[in-house]
Amino acid sequence: MQKLQEPLFPVATFEEVFATTSGTIFQSDSENCWYIDFAGKLARFDYRNLLKLKKAVYQVDIEGKLLNSVQSADVEIIFICACDHSYVLSLLELIKLKELLQGTFVMLELNHIIHDCLYRLAS
Amino acid sequence: MQKEEIMKDIMRVKCLLSSDVETLINQQIKKEAHSSAIYLSMASWCNRNGYDFSADYFFKQAEEERQHQLKFFKYVLDMGGTAISPDITNVKQEYNSFREVFEEALEQEISVTQSIKNIAARCHKEQDYVTLEFLNWFFREQREEEYKARRALELFEVIGEEGTGRWQIDKHVGQISYDSEA
Repeated sequence: MQKLQEPLFPVATFEEVFATTSGTIFQSDSENCWYIDFAGKLARFDYRNLLKLKKAVYQVDIEGKLLNSVQSADVEIIFICACDHSYVLSLLELIKLKELLQGTFVMLELNHIIHDCLYRLAS
Repeated sequence: MQKEEIMKDIMRVKCLLSSDVETLINQQIKKEAHSSAIYLSMASWCNRNGYDFSADYFFKQAEEERQHQLKFFKYVLDMGGTAISPDITNVKQEYNSFREVFEEALEQEISVTQSIKNIAARCHKEQDYVTLEFLNWFFREQREEEYKARRALELFEVIGEEGTGRWQIDKHVGQISYDSEA
């Protein structure tokens, strides 16, 4: 009888970090990375790329763009160096992505505090 | 409670610094680079105006500030953070007088001390004793830097700028040193 083979792709387990009505960010402990489910795609981000994404999104002057009366296409391109993913978003979507990221970083900070309290300080 | 139930703290595993402290140190890197550039322009001004000893003094100061910048830079990288190579603009090239150069040099050092104190205050708040310990070296260094800058200005008082006064001041600037054991 044929031996059961390892699955071709490793089965990753996700944990939801933060979710809004427009998207969700999951963390994979086994892969040390995050998966962002947003704007119709699931994209994988490692530590460096997640920070670069945060920087790129936070850098956009949303208020300035909202108040700008010059007619231009409602398109923001979030491009990250040395990363497989980029986002082409409307300003409204960008605001939603920013909200998602802000919530995620608060949850990661909270997780850090919990780790400190439960394991690093108690033991 | 089982450890497996909580998701990994990847951020902390990757980097010792909080993002706030990392940002503050990156601002300090920029400040040190700016200081170094200002000292270089002071060296240029002194040289052009015939104060060669002071020019040498400022060349050395520029080099020291550069070393401080690199020390911060490497610390951020060693702790897993992202060190940012800064843009340097707004470097003043002209001064109204020999004395003004030294007044601004002291002002510069005071401002550097103040911003390092600001980082330390943040570290206290976060209980980041690792970075605090790293900063101690800089506090010692600032003691020396402020002493030297203050001593140079003092020379203008005790020697006086009249007659060959500035020539005397320039000669003595080269001899300023700080060797307190305190």
